[in-house]
Formats: sequence, structure tokens, C-alpha cells
Amino acid sequence: MNEGRDPFIPGASSPIARLVEAFHRLPGIGPKSAQRLAYHILRSPEAEAQELADALIEVKRSIVFCAQCQNLTSRTPCEICTDSSRDRHSICVVEEPLDVLAIERTGGWSGLYHVLHGVISPSDGVGPEDLKIGELLARLRDLETEVTEIIVATNPNLEGEATAMYLSRLLRPLGIKVTRLARGLPAGADLEYADDVTLGRALEFRQEVL
Amino acid sequence: MPSRIPRVIRTNAIVLRHRRLGEADRIVTLLTPLRGKIDVIAKGVLRSKSRMGGHLEPLTLVEVVLAHGRSMDVVTQAQTIDAFPAAHEDLDRLSAAMYLLELADRITVEHAEAEGLHDLLHAALVRLARGDGQQVVQRTFELALLDATGFRPELTDCLRCSNPVPAEEAWWAPVEGGVLCASCARAYTDAQPIDATALRVLRAFQSQTYEEAGRIRLTDELAARMESAMHALMRSVVERDLKSAQFVSAARRARVAGEAREDAGADNAASESDTLDDLAE
Repeated sequence: MNEGRDPFIPGASSPIARLVEAFHRLPGIGPKSAQRLAYHILRSPEAEAQELADALIEVKRSIVFCAQCQNLTSRTPCEICTDSSRDRHSICVVEEPLDVLAIERTGGWSGLYHVLHGVISPSDGVGPEDLKIGELLARLRDLETEVTEIIVATNPNLEGEATAMYLSRLLRPLGIKVTRLARGLPAGADLEYADDVTLGRALEFRQEVL
Repeated sequence: MPSRIPRVIRTNAIVLRHRRLGEADRIVTLLTPLRGKIDVIAKGVLRSKSRMGGHLEPLTLVEVVLAHGRSMDVVTQAQTIDAFPAAHEDLDRLSAAMYLLELADRITVEHAEAEGLHDLLHAALVRLARGDGQQVVQRTFELALLDATGFRPELTDCLRCSNPVPAEEAWWAPVEGGVLCASCARAYTDAQPIDATALRVLRAFQSQTYEEAGRIRLTDELAARMESAMHALMRSVVERDLKSAQFVSAARRARVAGEAREDAGADNAASESDTLDDLAE
């Protein structure tokens, strides 16, 4: 790795090299993009750079986990948890905060959420105790009479399936209905290239054409 | 004449795991019969229109075409041969399958021929998927894996004094790899007494054919004891914690707790919150 060692910058510890290196650490930013971003900051007015720096610090200082849904929020309980128009009888369990945004975008969900912040994945060293599962159980204990359905919206892969089934095993004995997102062909897919599991499920859960 | 590396090869492989690479690519770890464990690049598999995506999930037997690349080979085609769908339907079986994959991954080094291991893993996954007992599948896979890699545990004679050890007096020494008699066990700090029935069943699993071993009936409690002994042994062989092993146990505990709760009935509110606390741990 020789990021930050721009031929035009003498010494790896120069301020520009430090900035390039900081950008390079971000996901999806390669060495060239990091340099482009750093030089863009250099050329832009100081106020703009200050704004970026303030925003970075503020987001780190003010964003916390919502005490209820564990989503990232600036106030706890978060806006979704306190929204009185939402259905409090069902909770949609997702892996990451970004999944909440994805489901909100569909406009098809009016219940609450719970963010696990990961998924059971032994090959990455993540077990159930590393997720916000204890928090979900504590929450159900508080709201026990209210919640009737948990929708597990983990990804349809090995780790997501394992997490969904584990949650179901914990929650079903409590008399809570546990459901899973349907699995089938994505929009724009091609049957010829669909894997057997997906195509099998798509057939199994087919729907009548109206 | 020096043999040239072919540009493209076609092989069967079991997908062990994968990790993200950049925006839409993945590095997939495959267990192939002839080239052993290899990391390959699957380009664009995270895009929803990918033609290979679903075929390269862990716990899948695939036929792949690999193009020789500079640092890693690149997958150009992938077709599922067996996705072991029945293994996905039950958490005990699914967690067991994850454990077998992690074991196979941890015990192999890259690029070493692994035809025997590939066949062992395939056979074990087929057995899990067709509904054989998870205990017998996992334990016989562990024992066969240890045999194949030169770590065959000693289950009948004391590792120190070589005298036969009666099951009732046996101590389990995972680091040393087998049983010790009670008097020799004092010299080892890691040795623990082992349940006599659990040891007898493990002995049977080691000496009998798979079909004979499959006829032995196991209670959940006995299964848990055998499991903890073998997990300790495997942990010392691969020299690290096996997260999937802990998950297998957690999944079983959750099932047993759920069944106990259903038996007891849901009328006692006090015991209800106790169970929740137990489960949350």
C-alpha cells in the first residue's frame, strides 16, 4: 500500500497525504478517488471544509442507538418508535440501519423496526450474543401484550436464514407469530440463470394472476 | 516438458464461505477435489441481475468454470449441482452444516489436494440434508476428518500409560487428543472427567460403520455431552474457537428451552420472564 505517497508530496506525513489516507480508508474509495477528493477539498473554500469537518464530528457525537429499536438516531426513542400513527403490534427485524431505509422507501410497512446490527455468521466470528437479540427480547417483555407478529427481514442467504430460524426458535414459544420475507425472483431476472433454491421457492409460493 | 497451467478449468466445488470485495464482487472460498481449498473472485455477484449470484452461496455444491487470473482465479460460470435444500429447513441441521463447513475450512491449507476431504464433506452434507441424525453426522464427520488429517483421537487406551481405560473412570484430555486413566489424569490440568455413556457412544462411532452408528438412539442430554467433548477436541486441533460450534449448541439450547416451555404451558407469568432471561444470555 503506498496510498498517500503522492509523487508531488514530499514526505508521507504531509497534511495532504494524511487527508488522502483518511479518504482511502472509507469503503469504496480507491487511491485515485481519495486523491481526487483531497484535492477537491484543497481547492474549495475554507467554509465548505469547515462544514464537512463539523458534520463529521457532530454525527459521531450526537448519533446514538435508539433505546427501543436500536436504530441509529439523534434522539431516543427515535422518530419511528414515537410515531403514534404506526402499528405497534408488529415489528420488522432487519440486519442493518440501511435496511430500515430500504423498507421505508417501499412505503409498504407501517409497523415498528428492530435493528440487529449484523447477522449470525460463524465464519466471520459473529454469534447470536454479538447481535441486539437480547434487546429485542427485553423489548418484547415490556410490550408483550402488544406485539403479535415479528417479521424477520434478514437477507435470503445462509446467515440470514440461520438468524431468522434462531429468532423464530426463541420467539415462537412466547406465542408470537414469526414470519419471513417471501423469497422469489427479483424484478428483471432471467429464469434460465436463476439458482434452484430461488426458483423452487418462487414456484412453491406462486400467486394467482388476477 | 513443463506442464502449463491451463487457462480455463472446470471443476466441482463446495462453497465454504465468501466475503465482499469492493462494490459488487466477492471472494469465494471453494473446496475442490483436486486443487483443494482455493479463493476465487466472483465478479458482480452482488448485483441483482447477476447470473451466478445464487449459485455461489455457502453450503452449495457447484460446477464452476475458473479462468486463470494473476493472483486469484476468476469464476466465469457457476451452476448449482446440489443446494442441500432440506438442510436449510431446520435450524439444528442448518447450524450443523455451518459447523461442518467451518471445520473443513479451518483444517485445510490452501492449494493442497483435498479429494478425500471434499468427498467426506459432501457425504456429510448429503446425510444432513436427507434427515439423518445431526449428532451422528457431525460426530462421524469430526472423527473421519481427524483420521484423515492424522489427529485420530485415542478413545480406548490411556494416552500416558497405554493401559485400557474403563469408560466409567476415563478423563477427557482435548489438548492431548483422547482419554487418560484417572491416575495419569492428575498430571494434566486440562483433563476433565467424561460421561461414561458419551465416551462409549464415541468409541462406537469411531469403530463402527456409519450405518451401525446411525442406529444408536441419543437423548438431547447425552448429545450435549458428546458435543461438548468433541467441540473441545476440535478447538484444540484447529487451535481457535469455532463460532459455529457455539452456535450449534445455542440453537439446541433454544430448542430445548422452547420445548420445555411448551410442555410447562404458558400460564405462569413469573417463569415466563425467567425463560426470557435465560434465552437472552
